[in-house]
Amino acid sequence: MSDLKVNKVTVSYKKQTGIKEASLQAQSGEIIGFIGADGAGKSSLMHAIAGVIRFEGEISYFGHNYHSPREAEKIKPHTGLMPQGIGLVLYETLTVAEHLSFFANIRGLRQDAAFRAYQEKLLHMAGLSDFTDRQAGKLSGGMMQKLSLICTLLHRPKLLILDEPTTGVDPLSRLELWEILDTIRKEEGTIIVVSTAYMQEAAKMDRVLLFDGGEIIARGTVPELTESVRAYTFEAGACPEKEDVESDCFTFDRRSYSLDPLSVPRAEPTLEALFFVNALRTKRAIPKIEIDARESKMEIPESVMEARGLTKRFGNFTANDHIDMRLRGGDIVGLLGANGTGKTTFMKMLLGLYPIDEGELTLLGKSIRSSADRQELKAKIGYVSQHFALYKDMTVRENLIYFANMHHIPVATAIKRINRYAHELGFDAYMDHSPNELPLGINQRFSVAASLLHEPVILFLDEPTSGVDTIARAQFWEMLHRLKASWGISILITTHYMSEAEYCNRVVLMRQGRKIADDTVEKLYAEHPDAENFEEIFLSYYRDEI
Amino acid sequence: MSRIFWVVFGKETLSFLRSIGLVAAVLYSFTADIYIAGKGIQITPRNVKIGYVDDTGGGISQKILSRLHKPEFLPPRRFKSQEALSRAIFDKEILVGILFDQDFEKDFRQGKKAQLNLLLDATAASQSFTTLGYLQNIVMDFSRPNFPVVIKSHKLFNQNADNHSFMALTEMLSVITLLIVILTAVVFVREKEEGTWDIMLLMPVNPKLIILAKSLSQVMIVMAGVLLALGFVIFGAFDTPMNGSFWAFMLLTFFYSFSSAGIGLFVAAVSKSTMQVAQLSIVIMMPLIFLSGAWTPIYAMHPVLQFLSLFSPLRYYIEGSESIFFRGTDLIDLWPYFGGVLLLGVLLYWYGFRKIGKLF
Repeated sequence: MSDLKVNKVTVSYKKQTGIKEASLQAQSGEIIGFIGADGAGKSSLMHAIAGVIRFEGEISYFGHNYHSPREAEKIKPHTGLMPQGIGLVLYETLTVAEHLSFFANIRGLRQDAAFRAYQEKLLHMAGLSDFTDRQAGKLSGGMMQKLSLICTLLHRPKLLILDEPTTGVDPLSRLELWEILDTIRKEEGTIIVVSTAYMQEAAKMDRVLLFDGGEIIARGTVPELTESVRAYTFEAGACPEKEDVESDCFTFDRRSYSLDPLSVPRAEPTLEALFFVNALRTKRAIPKIEIDARESKMEIPESVMEARGLTKRFGNFTANDHIDMRLRGGDIVGLLGANGTGKTTFMKMLLGLYPIDEGELTLLGKSIRSSADRQELKAKIGYVSQHFALYKDMTVRENLIYFANMHHIPVATAIKRINRYAHELGFDAYMDHSPNELPLGINQRFSVAASLLHEPVILFLDEPTSGVDTIARAQFWEMLHRLKASWGISILITTHYMSEAEYCNRVVLMRQGRKIADDTVEKLYAEHPDAENFEEIFLSYYRDEI
Repeated sequence: MSRIFWVVFGKETLSFLRSIGLVAAVLYSFTADIYIAGKGIQITPRNVKIGYVDDTGGGISQKILSRLHKPEFLPPRRFKSQEALSRAIFDKEILVGILFDQDFEKDFRQGKKAQLNLLLDATAASQSFTTLGYLQNIVMDFSRPNFPVVIKSHKLFNQNADNHSFMALTEMLSVITLLIVILTAVVFVREKEEGTWDIMLLMPVNPKLIILAKSLSQVMIVMAGVLLALGFVIFGAFDTPMNGSFWAFMLLTFFYSFSSAGIGLFVAAVSKSTMQVAQLSIVIMMPLIFLSGAWTPIYAMHPVLQFLSLFSPLRYYIEGSESIFFRGTDLIDLWPYFGGVLLLGVLLYWYGFRKIGKLF
């Protein structure tokens, strides 16, 4: 008999299904992990288990069955839910100590000696003991998440539901969050249901459920899961060249995936492989990305961007502290760091959306002193902002035509180019839909297409891969590499996924407004021979910093 | 240059037409809202509830009461004591209470100064004070003064002294102000919220041109609404006289809308989200409307407020519009109003351009 039993739960919204007939079972003290992209159904299932949204099906918790939020009311004293979003449950102007007493009071907890001891322990585990007087708004993203977590733990829930608690949080804080969870489940016997956007965190979970498109596509322990796709994972570059687009083989990140045996040796499978193999199995089309040479001839200077000592302050807060960076022609530079470390601020300074407080900037060989210097460079720069900024009340086609018009591209050329991109980047089918109706991955490629219409020399991409599913992400990086190869374009890309460093030529790591590492991928690996992945390399930089 | 202008203008108009809720709100504001404002206002008393306490035993008191009849007043209700009447007024059962005390009839017969006590619920100020005026007239009739002066008034400009068309016109001017500010602010702030504004700034186009095209599109939407309101409500339902030039009014409206769009631009420049636009618009709009003379004549204001009212573009617009509608002023004599509206508009745009219309 399982302590938590979820039986064929379906959550549907007005237009789409959140999660379809999901079932799972869990024992006390177990960590159940949900892995998948935005919109894959993780949050829907979590909210159903927490009893905060309507669902079909049955959930039973220690013999208490519930089918609706009303019936779930009885188990709420035993559950804790931490919703998605950094610091979402916190009040900016309350201090850490005030938060703890507030959450204890609304839960109606008796604040006796035992409670105070437990509270002290939580504070200590979260490393917040010295910050009890600090306002939540002034904590770092990682500290905010740790505070949110201990606030959720105050009433000693036996069922803890955490929706992406680590997304956008710095690697060190993420590690600490996982340590807290591990301690709690061992000491309190809590069932922990946790979702994550980082595949690497799967190793910390007892059992993993993989979500894709509103369904659970695989479940089991990490070794079980990777073992299940061993037969389909091969070394890279072995896909037979085929004319048809819907191929049954896909290559990404030094591995090829195919349902039919290939003539090359098998490679060590990862969790990502499950998503690729699932896509191949369900015959979901993975359109091939192609990029033709640019239409206009462009001379690529050796150094396209050079920043020296760039500094940005907001009041007393220094968002960027003397940052040096260089972007060479045809380079893909990854700007990595947790949320709130100043990546976006830095990019906006480069683009002129924020004034530069201090430092020097040279773009395409031109020293930038005022907005007048930027005027002629505008035609050579492409920019995709966070959340793929596009007009929601116009179709994809209308959006692209609008952008082309703004770039003074002749109408005939524009339409030809738009159709070409739509075909090459695989979104022809969505041309007459509004951006709201598109899957995130398609939206992302179409935003990039919009920024490529004028054939720029530099591309600035702000968090383009956040929340995008594995396959779309793979295709996205494929697209960037092809762009680099056939256009010689230089790309500066920000991301909070440390693992994406692998796909860049050079990475710059930021922490609290300062640059803490800046090197080529090969060199970083050479300097850290015992690191298994980039996550560990960065962790070492974070540790050195303290 | 002009291609970009029309591309932006067309796109904004299309976006507006595609959002059904917004179209419905604008249509409502320019038709039903103005109609209700014009129709709904009641200055003359109607169905006023009167109570009285009569300790005189009737006579003069009943003669006075018999003059209070429908439709202005409901039949007066008698109360046993002043306390009972006061309670009824407190409970809002009675609006005006009349006290005929024992000395009233005696003093009246003896030709002394007879005192009639009135209790007024001053929370319904206009209704109770007009009732007071009625009662004073009735009492005056009784006293038959030998004072052979009769007032004969000649109403100028708004010959029918028609409050309905006046209220409807004022409401239309307020609707124009409110809509143009909010529509323009939302158009800009939505782009800021969704991040498209950053992309627009990075386009090889002068951002001033985009700003002008975007605000002009909203001005045209409001102008279309004004035509609707004029046709169906102002001239249609209320038959408001138009003594001046129709085109002079449209021109003034155009300039006024454009300068108010400047206020919208200002609101958008300082807010981060649509929510903030809603809050800020109210905070900015209320003093503008208070100071415009829409609710209180400017000459009746405190001198400081009179000075401040110079900064409300709505002031020039209301004065100008009333001149056109009721006084029939010529276009050339309207220059102070055009001048005031234009000057304020230019200042607001200058700020808007600086604040959101440039790169660093």
